[in-house]
Parts: sequence; C-alpha cells; structure tokens
Amino acid sequence: MAQALAVETHGLTKRYSTGVLAVNDLNLMVKIGEVYGFLGPNGAGKTTTLRLLSGLLHPTAGSATVAGAAPGTPASLARLGAMVETPAFYPYLSGRDNLRVVARYSGASRSRIEPVLKQVDLADRAQHKFRTYSTGMKQRLGVAAALLKDPALLILDEPTSGLDPQGTVEMRALIGDIRREGRTVLLSSHLLNEVELTCDRVGVIAKGKLVAEGTVDELRARSGGTAVLVRATPLDRAQRLLESFLGTSVRVEDGVLVLSVDPSQAAAINRRLVSEGIDVSELRVSEQSLEAVFLQLTEGPA
Amino acid sequence: MIASLRAEALKSRKRWANWILFGILLLALLAFGYVLTYIILKNPPRNFESRIPASVLKRQVFPENLLPNVLSSVSTIGAAIMIILGSLSTASEYGWLTVQTILIQKPGRRAVLSGKLLNLAIITLFIGIVALGSAALTSYLLVRIDGGSSSFPSAILLLKGFGALWLQLAVWTAFGMFLGIAFRSTAAAIGGGLTYLFVGEALLAQLFRDTPGVKEFLKFLPGVNGSAVNATFGLTFRGPNANTPPLVDATRGSITLLVYLVLFAVLALVIFQRRDVGGS
Repeated sequence: MAQALAVETHGLTKRYSTGVLAVNDLNLMVKIGEVYGFLGPNGAGKTTTLRLLSGLLHPTAGSATVAGAAPGTPASLARLGAMVETPAFYPYLSGRDNLRVVARYSGASRSRIEPVLKQVDLADRAQHKFRTYSTGMKQRLGVAAALLKDPALLILDEPTSGLDPQGTVEMRALIGDIRREGRTVLLSSHLLNEVELTCDRVGVIAKGKLVAEGTVDELRARSGGTAVLVRATPLDRAQRLLESFLGTSVRVEDGVLVLSVDPSQAAAINRRLVSEGIDVSELRVSEQSLEAVFLQLTEGPA
Repeated sequence: MIASLRAEALKSRKRWANWILFGILLLALLAFGYVLTYIILKNPPRNFESRIPASVLKRQVFPENLLPNVLSSVSTIGAAIMIILGSLSTASEYGWLTVQTILIQKPGRRAVLSGKLLNLAIITLFIGIVALGSAALTSYLLVRIDGGSSSFPSAILLLKGFGALWLQLAVWTAFGMFLGIAFRSTAAAIGGGLTYLFVGEALLAQLFRDTPGVKEFLKFLPGVNGSAVNATFGLTFRGPNANTPPLVDATRGSITLLVYLVLFAVLALVIFQRRDVGGS
C-alpha cells in the first residue's frame, strides 16, 4: 500500500523571467510524520522549491500536492505552517500583535497565541516591538507564526540561519518537540550537522535537481560509505604501492592515505605494506563524513 | 475576506504613519483652508489686492461654503495624502517581505487584496466624515467669532458633497495602492504618484487645457474629472476661478472617477494574483 504523503511533486520546474532555471524537474516525496531535510548548497534551489510549495511562486512546469491540495490554495494553506527565508513581520507591532494579525488572516483561534509564544519561549518578550528583536527571537516568532494554525505540515527554511550556538541548540530542540507532536516537517538547510541531527530522511538538491534521497546512513553508503585510512612512511612509496595493489587511485589528505575500499581489506593492506618494508604507524576504518558525501553529490551534476 | 479585513484593520489602527497622515490632512484642511484664511481675510494686509473684496472672500470659510472649501482641499493635499496612504498599505508589505507572511496564511490572494481594499474604503470613509465634520465645526466657530450669519447647505446637498468627497479620496487611495503593488517599493510608488499628481496632471491641465487634441485627452484624467465634480458645489459668491469652466460636466466626472476606482482595484488584483512573490 502506498504510504501517505504530505508533499509530492512531479517534474516541478521553475524558470525565472531572467532565464535562471532555479528548480529543474524536481520529484520530491515527503511522508506524513517524518522530518525531511532538504539539503543543498546556497543557490541550489531550496528556497525556490519551498516558495513553490507555499504558493508564493507559480511553477513553470510540473505539479505539486501540499497537505492534500494544490500549493497556495486555501485548502493547502489551512494545513500548512511555513517560514520561508527571513521571518518577516510588521516592525511597528509587538510580537503578540504580529501573531494576532497572522491569526486573523489564517482564521486561527486567538487562544492559540499564548501557547505558541510559550512553546517558542517568547512569552516574556511578546509585548515588545518586532523591530527590537534579535535574530534568534525573530526566527522563533517565525516558528510561532507557522505553528499558530496547528498545522499538519510545517515548512521551515533554514530555521537556524543567523542563530548563535545556543540559539541553534534551542531551535533544534524545538523542532524535536514539533516532531513529537506528530507533525510533518520539511526543513531546508545547508548545514549538514543540523540535518544529520534533526532529520529522518534527506533530499539533496544541486542546481535545481534532486541528486540523492534517503536516510543519512543510506546516503553515506551510496557515496562509498566507509574508507580505510593509513598513515605510513615513506608516504609516496606507500601511495604508489597501494595504487598498484588495489588497482585504483589513492588520495592523500593531511598526510594520510584515504582508501575507498571495503574495510575487510584492511588486514591485507597492512600485510602488503609491511612486507614491502613500509612502516605503518596507523591504520583505521573511517566512516565517510556527511560533508564528504554532500560534496560528492553536489559537485557531480554539470 | 472578512478575516483579511480584520487583520488589515488591526494593522492600520496600530500603524502610526496612518495617524500622522490623517493628522497632516486635518491640520492642512483646518489651518490653511479655514483658520489662516480667515485671519488673513479678516485683517487683510495693506497691499492686499483682489477684484473681490476681502470681506466677501472670507465667506469661503463660513458654513455656506463648507463643501467647495473642503472639496478644493481634497483635490490637492487630500489627494497627495491618500496616494501616500494607499502606497504604504501595499508597498510596505513588499518592503518588509510581509506579503510572504500574509500569503502563506489561509486566505487566497483575492481575499487578501479584497480585505485590503475594503479596509481602505472604510478608512477613507472615516477620514471623509471626520474631515467634513471638523471643517463644519470650524466654520461654525469662525462665523460665530466673526459675528456674521451663515447657514449650512441642505442635508441633500451635504450628502451629495460627502459622496463626491469620499469618491475622490477613494480614487486617489486606490491609485496609491495600485502603484504600491505595481512598483513593489514604497518610495517609487509615492514618488511616482505625487509626481503624476503635481507635475504630470496639474501642469498638463494648467498649460494645455485650451490646446486642441490635448484638451480631449485631459477630459479623461482623474484630477480634471474631480475638479468637474467639485465645480457642482460652487462658492456662494463669484470666486476667482469663476471664469474657468470645468472641461467635463459633473455626471461625466463622477462616472469617470468611478471607472478609475474600479480600474485601479482590478489592475491591482490582477497583478497581485499573478505575480511571483520572492525569487529573482
């Protein structure tokens, strides 16, 4: 049986009038109840995609279903809470009054305002004008506004952008709370650590195209997964020897040979080096960092 | 639409810029249109020259001339203030990016803009009532101070005059609102609107009103049609502009203004509905 989807896109494409192809034939599926990380470098098309899903942009081609309806329609927006790019509010209104405005537009009950202010830890600053807020407080008010209509699906664009380490930890905890409430979260980020710590599944976008999708572990495995690291002397001789032994190129990073091979070959590699009179001072198996996976995936497509 | 209207009403009420604009309008109307005019005409300077005696001219601030006096202020300073008000209501949303915040909420784009339009219609109604009321009160006080006698126009005429006042306030507000959406910038919308009002239309109407061809074109401009409507409510004496008849009659003027009101609203809606928000 097909799993229910909170977001589904088919061939979603956005070409701006300037000719820039920001999103290219994107097929995205976000399951109900998961935290889906939308990962990509700056300018990859993340925010444009989220704008398309929120109905702020009209697609050039393709289609999307968001919370069971077409993006931007009242039916879709009623079940969607979103913070796209910068949290934008009225500078002359207090945080609480800004939420009153949002509640009136969205038809949310006024009684939701205090609980969401408390949830994002803004209750004690709610009476102050938005223009006096710090970046972290603005971000938190953005999340509060997104939560106001008790949405089934939450879209958060770079929610930790501009936050200090403390703010980042708090935002991460907040997203954890939201997930525990059973909501679906689609969050975009270029911060790998954030996605790794927060998301159930990840979609990697580069130059407007989805280049990989899966759990963080699946992506690691797909991109070579693990590596064997060898510290040996003399290094250049060890490199040549291993290249001829393994039949593949071996790269050197910070004085360490990085071998993209199955870890079960570690013992054979060690024996070979020692038998040729090369000193091996360190040999260990390393999981490839998400950063390496990310670079490998996003630098690929032309 | 009602939800959007409620949200817009809250924003408008709490925005100081709106109250300041309203204050400037009232101050300009009462100070220049009434108090200063009365003071100058009551004790005219020695070098005061006019083919109409100051003692007659001063009657323009009395209740009998309430409508022409208020309407003449509306067609200049009032129009400028309304253009700014309309521009602020829409262009600021682009400046602050709050247009995104609004559109991500439940109502569709049409409901959002309809709420804005309705809110501005109510604001202009409020401004019209307060402006006319405070002008009436001031004129009453001035005639009492002067010791003369003067009576207000009939209720029917007052109602018609108020209709003309509200229509012109609404047209200029809608113009500002349309510019705000078209330019997506407060400065450009206000600058463009005021340039049109004071340089474009005012100069054209002054310099080329008797030039064949241009004259026909002028008959379609909102300011010219507003003046035609205002001319219906003439001064009780033969004023300085009595020899300059309006280019169109009042009925055509009213209809043209109504067409402009609908046109600006529809154009704003079409652009707002179709345009992408954000992105390059």
